[in-house]
Amino acid sequence: MTALSLGERLFIQGGIAQDLRADGRGRLDYRTLYVETGVIPQANGSARVRFGGTDVIASAKAEIGRPTLLQPDKGKVSTHVDCSSTAAPMFEGRGGEELSSELSIALQRCLLGGKSGAGAGIDLSSLIIVEGKVCWDLYIECLVVSSDGNLLDALGAAIKAALSNTGIPRVQVAADAASEEQPEVDISDEEFLQFDTSSVPVIVTLTKVGRHYIVDATPEEESQMSSAVSVSVNRKGHICGLTKRGGAGLDPSVILDMISVAKHVSEQLLTKLDSEISAAESREEDK
Amino acid sequence: MRGLQLPLTQTQKIRLQRALEKLESLSLKANTNATVTIADTIPVNHDDGFLKGHGTLDVDGEVIATVCGVVERINKLVYIRTLRARYKPEVGDIVVGRVVEVVPKRWKLNINYSQDAVLMLSSINLPDGIQRRRTAEDELNMRVVFEENDVICAEVRGLQHDGIHLQARSQKYGKLCSGQLLSVPPYLVKRRKQHLHHLDQLGVDLILGCNGFIWVGEHAEPKDDMPVDQENDTEQDLSSRKYPTTLEDQERAYTPIETRQNICRIANAIRVASTLGFTITVETITETFNLSASLNTGIHEMLGSEFCVLVAEQEAERRGRTKRAG
Repeated sequence: MTALSLGERLFIQGGIAQDLRADGRGRLDYRTLYVETGVIPQANGSARVRFGGTDVIASAKAEIGRPTLLQPDKGKVSTHVDCSSTAAPMFEGRGGEELSSELSIALQRCLLGGKSGAGAGIDLSSLIIVEGKVCWDLYIECLVVSSDGNLLDALGAAIKAALSNTGIPRVQVAADAASEEQPEVDISDEEFLQFDTSSVPVIVTLTKVGRHYIVDATPEEESQMSSAVSVSVNRKGHICGLTKRGGAGLDPSVILDMISVAKHVSEQLLTKLDSEISAAESREEDK
Repeated sequence: MRGLQLPLTQTQKIRLQRALEKLESLSLKANTNATVTIADTIPVNHDDGFLKGHGTLDVDGEVIATVCGVVERINKLVYIRTLRARYKPEVGDIVVGRVVEVVPKRWKLNINYSQDAVLMLSSINLPDGIQRRRTAEDELNMRVVFEENDVICAEVRGLQHDGIHLQARSQKYGKLCSGQLLSVPPYLVKRRKQHLHHLDQLGVDLILGCNGFIWVGEHAEPKDDMPVDQENDTEQDLSSRKYPTTLEDQERAYTPIETRQNICRIANAIRVASTLGFTITVETITETFNLSASLNTGIHEMLGSEFCVLVAEQEAERRGRTKRAG
């Protein structure tokens, strides 16, 4: 719980109104982004992303599974977030569970679209091996190591980086399988297919303080917010998901305005994130 | 360096390494004999009676260190002073604290110590300025003076049995408004003659609390010590004059943009010094501020890797200069 005196609160609100926040950023500036890939060797793909003080790790693990009866031509993806007790004192014991489930649901909504699988940011049909029988189950697990505001954006960026680092093993299916039985699959240990992440969206959270919106809020600024809208935008500029937090109501015109601001910010964030991911991967290769 | 979490390119890493090595070589000249690590024997004359203090242990007739630090000898007491200790209050320290609780006749403040410090109602100057006995009405109106979560500057009066007592009797102490509070490791703020600095040309107040809490804010004129005529002022008027309530009033009361830029620049200079583990003094902060102003670095860029390396190089140069001069 960030405790702030009235003078400090007015200072923060004044800074946001004058476009000069406490650490010198403008309203639409992100903190320094730092990406590291391949931090968990046992996972198929992993990444660690830092936005200033916020530190999150995302890992992607692929296992063989059966597709659901409703969607036999799509693989499955599930996301889970865990807020580590080291991230903040309030996460001790079961304190972080509420926030974890809130973040998991928000990520699900932003990346995976609706229940029918339509409009998913991640292309689920690329995860199918044999239609109706064998598919890849992708488990995306995230861990919040240090919490300093703006967790959702960091998690979205970490997932994008982890997926670009993910290698799905090449699978050979035994050709002579009977139609009812599970065919035998031979999972290669050497050959990997890189996951295509060009359409994976990135999440931009806009926090409304007073009359203005800010991007990448610190915990002090978040304590002053009236509401926050998280928009996931992909490279084409399409909105893949939308989540609103906060008790204050918003006029629909304000939401539309926030969406257009989020689209504008997401272009720069995507370019920055892509360059940081390629820098991280080249650093990993050098090691 | 305790986990420097900055993305540095190869050249920046080399430059930073070189600057840190230079700083280390400059400081190594002094006091290498007195530094000990765990399990080092402390050279003691066993004939003279001596007392074993903190961080020492008697093993087989020899005095061994149990912590890493510097051996200090005061009269007959031999103890080890660690370098990164928790903040330990001493009488006369100027600290910045946040009110956590308002209890009868006193406020409890968090000062980054294992206990909350106590600020008695009798240890502050009342707003009306009159020196008088505190009445029951004063006790009921304590929240008008200081509320929960207020940031207060005070001096350590004493370490009593029930905790650390503070006093805020001078006009330079009291509630701090319009600024930001930074938290740095306490060992980076050394005890000096002056902790409350008013940077004239910038219009900024800088308070370096010995407990690691540093306040950077708009300059507040110390209030007049003379008692104020209060017949016509109601309590409502007083509070609304200090804190504007409507949105338009708030917008008019915002800190001017020039002062705000200076406040943010100074705060970032302190953040960079804290990341690099350099001692925080007014001289180093103003030098970093001037460096960033002369290079025209964007205020947020001060937290980036390039400026960090530049600050390290500048500090190495400055210490080299003072060493050669002194």
